[in-house]
Amino acid sequence: MFLGVSTVCGADRTGEQIYQQVCASCHGAKGEGTIESYPHPLVGERSIGELTEYISKSMPEDKPGTCVGEDARKVSQFIHDTFYSPTAQARNKPVRVELSRLTVRQYRNAVADLIGSFRGAGRIDDKEGLRGEYFKARGFRGNARAFERVDPVVAFDFKDKSPDDEKMEPHEFSIRWEGAVTAPDTGEYEFVVRTDQAARLWINDLKQPLVDNWVQSGKDTEHRESIFLLAGRTYALRLEFSKAKQGVDDKKVKEKPPAPASISLEWKRPHRITEVIPARCLSTSRPNEAFVVTTRFPPDDRSVGWEKATSISKEWDQATTDAAIDVAAFVASRFEEFAGTKRDAADRDEKLKGFCRRFVERAFRSATGGLDDEQRAMFVDRHFAEGVDSETAVRRVVLLTLKSPRFLYRELGSLSVPRPLGSGPVESANRVESLPNGRGTDGVLVSDPYDVASRISFAMYDSLPDQALLDAAAKGELKTREQVAQHAQRLLADPRTRSKLREFLLTWLKVEHVPDVSKDSERYPEFNATIANDLRTSLELFLEEIIKSDTSDFRQLLLADGIYLNGRLAKFYGAMKDDAELPADAPFQKIDLEPDQRAGVLSHPYLMAGFAYTGSSSPIHRGIFIARSVLGRSLRPPPEAVAPLAPQLRPDLTTRERVALQTKPESCQSCHAMINPLGFTLEHFDAVGRFRKEENGKPVNASGTYRRRNGELVKFDGVNDLAKFLADSPETHSAFVEQLFHFLVKQPIRAFGSNTRETLRASFVKENFNIHRLMVEIIATAAMTTTEPKPQTAVVP
Amino acid sequence: MTHVSRRDFLRDFGLSAAALPFVLNLPSLGFANQQARKQRLVVMFSPNGVVPSTFWPDEEGSEFKLKESLSPLEPFKDRLMTLHGVCDKVRGDGDNHMRGIGCLLTGVELFPGNIQGGSHTPAGWASGLSIDQEIKNYLQADDATRTRFGSLEFGVMVSERADTWTRMSYSGPNKPITPIDDPYQMFSKLYGKLKDRESLKSILDDLQADLKKLASSVSAEDRQLLEEQTTFVRELEQELKADSTAAVGHAVPELEPGIKEENDNMPKLCKLQIDLMVNSFVSDFARVATFQITNSVGQAKMRWLDINEGHHEISHSPDSDEKAQEKLTRINKWYAEQLAYLAKRLAETPEPGGQGSLLDNTLIVWTNELGKGNSHTLDNIPWVLVGNGLDFKMGRSLNFDKTPPSRVLNAIDQGVDFITGKSIKPGKVAHNRLLLSLAHGFGHRITKFGNPDFCGDGPLSLT
Repeated sequence: MFLGVSTVCGADRTGEQIYQQVCASCHGAKGEGTIESYPHPLVGERSIGELTEYISKSMPEDKPGTCVGEDARKVSQFIHDTFYSPTAQARNKPVRVELSRLTVRQYRNAVADLIGSFRGAGRIDDKEGLRGEYFKARGFRGNARAFERVDPVVAFDFKDKSPDDEKMEPHEFSIRWEGAVTAPDTGEYEFVVRTDQAARLWINDLKQPLVDNWVQSGKDTEHRESIFLLAGRTYALRLEFSKAKQGVDDKKVKEKPPAPASISLEWKRPHRITEVIPARCLSTSRPNEAFVVTTRFPPDDRSVGWEKATSISKEWDQATTDAAIDVAAFVASRFEEFAGTKRDAADRDEKLKGFCRRFVERAFRSATGGLDDEQRAMFVDRHFAEGVDSETAVRRVVLLTLKSPRFLYRELGSLSVPRPLGSGPVESANRVESLPNGRGTDGVLVSDPYDVASRISFAMYDSLPDQALLDAAAKGELKTREQVAQHAQRLLADPRTRSKLREFLLTWLKVEHVPDVSKDSERYPEFNATIANDLRTSLELFLEEIIKSDTSDFRQLLLADGIYLNGRLAKFYGAMKDDAELPADAPFQKIDLEPDQRAGVLSHPYLMAGFAYTGSSSPIHRGIFIARSVLGRSLRPPPEAVAPLAPQLRPDLTTRERVALQTKPESCQSCHAMINPLGFTLEHFDAVGRFRKEENGKPVNASGTYRRRNGELVKFDGVNDLAKFLADSPETHSAFVEQLFHFLVKQPIRAFGSNTRETLRASFVKENFNIHRLMVEIIATAAMTTTEPKPQTAVVP
Repeated sequence: MTHVSRRDFLRDFGLSAAALPFVLNLPSLGFANQQARKQRLVVMFSPNGVVPSTFWPDEEGSEFKLKESLSPLEPFKDRLMTLHGVCDKVRGDGDNHMRGIGCLLTGVELFPGNIQGGSHTPAGWASGLSIDQEIKNYLQADDATRTRFGSLEFGVMVSERADTWTRMSYSGPNKPITPIDDPYQMFSKLYGKLKDRESLKSILDDLQADLKKLASSVSAEDRQLLEEQTTFVRELEQELKADSTAAVGHAVPELEPGIKEENDNMPKLCKLQIDLMVNSFVSDFARVATFQITNSVGQAKMRWLDINEGHHEISHSPDSDEKAQEKLTRINKWYAEQLAYLAKRLAETPEPGGQGSLLDNTLIVWTNELGKGNSHTLDNIPWVLVGNGLDFKMGRSLNFDKTPPSRVLNAIDQGVDFITGKSIKPGKVAHNRLLLSLAHGFGHRITKFGNPDFCGDGPLSLT
């Protein structure tokens, strides 16, 4: 209804009022359109200026020219900002589960497991160290075998002696160590064999040595080679060592003067320093060779705090092509082994086709025999055409499969592969129509079982469903929340799951990228790269203890009073309970420190050193970490880039006083009023994370405050107060639940219902803050929520 | 045009597609090298010495007769040169077989090490790079002569052991280069990317169809992602199309499939490798190649010649064992046949974009770790040069040993004391000087190579 210019376009009316009075009758209250007059949503890409011009000339349709000037501008701005512009549209869009590609980690894991599914994992055990076979000859003849033992690490200086005087002579012997090495992180590893004798090292591929120093030539005693490994996986390892002349075996030489011999097996993990491979990363397992995608992918978008994979780029597409070519070459070099056939076998082609079908099915997370005729022709049979040799055919199948969206994307759901009849409780084709809420008539959540299997596996360990999940899907045993939870519970022990949880905890602590913690060498001369490396190890050992423990109590992360120290760290950090001491070469062990000085990870010297400058602590970095990561508060970036006030400019001030001075302006205080008093509570820890009572001769003031979301002001004095508050705070629990959910599921938690976070938090509390239980709950929630949007027709332009 | 596709070329040189127009306007980097003459070097190796009496021509100069061992080279007599009296004078650690191959192209001592030979002290790898790599580096340093690989190291039935006896080329001290003795591996190194692109091309239609089908069944918001991928696939298709246009006329050779690396397949393996080498020259993938048949102390059993013992085993037989000497002559004649096949293939292949044949621009150097098997001498290493690549004056039999011929044979028969080095006869020349000649043939005028003590008087004058 149109009320006339004078009434409507009064100067005191807002754009919204004008819109509701003049425009809404045709365009709808929110621009959604009305069936009678204008059945299209009011959306587009014109600027406010363009809209103003258009409205001035043409609107309202029955009386153009009656809404002009300032009124037209006001109503344009309202329309534009509220629902018209692309940004407004995005803002108004409901949060939903979006089609996502595999993240880089998921891609690498999925390929490794896809290939691995045709070989099996091999034998994996938990026994630390390597099996060492000792031979009293230069070679590894069975009859020269003297003894066998498990060596925790390989770091031997035999000098001119025998490894065992009673069992072998000192001048000529050889040793073969076998077992496996587990990679804690994904990245480039350098393996170093340090020896003055003949030695060879194999990693993963036991046919081709990675380090070959069988010819000991000149004075080189350090031999290093790089290899790219995936986190949480165990790779076969073999090391051969021979103290002897190689080549022609000259038995005639009687005189054998004493000669020294030594060997150590070391590595340099990504961003770490070279060290002897510790026993906890070695095992006596016998894993099968794994395939590792080494193609460089563009990194995933982590701007929202978790890997969001809802966009693709040309570089990503190129990387998937390059990687597919590598996989195809690898498969082509072993396809007869995978297919269980030989070159001249009569049924070779049939076997190869069978292999290819299984390859496609597994890549698409589908049932055995789950391809329909059309897909079988398209993905497999067609490539075995007349005149194409079978190796080329296999290559093509692999290329097409790994380039297909059915492999590359998650949440394509049951659209990707039709399921065989009877495989699930509901026919996927009509599920969306008949069960819009994903609930059956009895109110129980239902979903396609293979989708459920995929959601479980990708959320738990970032890879394809394992055989047990696929079997359960085939038998229709992924229908209920209990069934899903059972599988999630089972998969908690999977090394891939543990690796993912480890990465999450490092991410939660904001140290997933190994920060540079090098310090001012004049102020802290004893703090060197070795100490920094030890500190990282200390933190990781602590996290691994929580990950492995059955209670996996979240509160222990904040409250535990023990810390892992080796001899070096104990000397540097001191202050052990009851003045205990560690020998300088002591290995890592859990030590109780002076109580009241440390609390869990919050005061771990690695974090304290990380959230600090090279020469002084940084209450701001520490405060931001607690506010954002632990309490889940959102903070805006500072209005302008500010260089921190250099300590030497105000040597009379403590760090606390300096920070307070610099962030005094009102524009800073909106955030720093929260940040600073949190960070100040950790002022007992200097730039290298050592406990201090004084700074510049003044006693440290570690009192602080926090205003809770409900307005209540909490006061602390020192790290123990703070830790106790955080461990009990529902804000902390909520933040942890939300971050873990996002890290696992990689979809926004709100897309799974507005109450999901609160429900999960409540169960987290009920389960005594057991992180494992929380993971199971998260998986059950995410896997059982039917989220597939209904196909829509294109938006009317 | 090069035979490397444009994209390969760009990738190998680390240039992105964005730099493409820039590169195409800069002919010196990519294609101008086609204007100048392409010189090439091939070093062919066979082991265990030769039978001097059936190998070396009796005459010196341009009037000479090829004896039994070299008879397969008759068609190339006016394009070959034999160099008698060129000796490997490098001493130090390692037995003669080890130094024979390790110092052959490096001209420098082996490092001390843990590899024990049949005599002498143990040794490690060579302490310097080899002449083929020196020349390769020289050619690769210049835009005008740079090629995709620079050098290719071919092998046939090289032992699985990586040790001093099995490595001839070195990219530096302690840096032996493993020859590729699997023709299929070499093929994939040379043409793998091309094959990959063919495979890729063949699946793109299916991929588009798949994307289209899936796009129609997801929501409008999600469809955007699939449509983006569709665009990328279309772009990839266009890039591949552009590539294949650039690669027209550079056919990928067909390899007889399934030849296993087994002793009895040596003849076939040799042929495959030679064919691949000639093809790689046609495509200008490299200007330097080595061709290492077995290795020092090689034990080929030439059953196809009715010889059932291993080559090294027979090579220890005394001169008085006529049967053995006859077999050794046949074995070396067979190696000469491989050389002849390589020369023939090069001679009948026109120089792409240039004058004459490939052989007109290629010098093949055939050599050996020993002068003679039963004495293990490093004197009179059998050097046979074929082809006109370095503009040496061919069609000659040269003798750098100016001692009377009868005494030469005498000296060889007596064997030599290699530890003291006292056996080096006046008049004989160090092989370092021949290595220098090879570099000079490419215009690379170095004055020393390997141990400088053996480089006195500079390169041998062969032009």
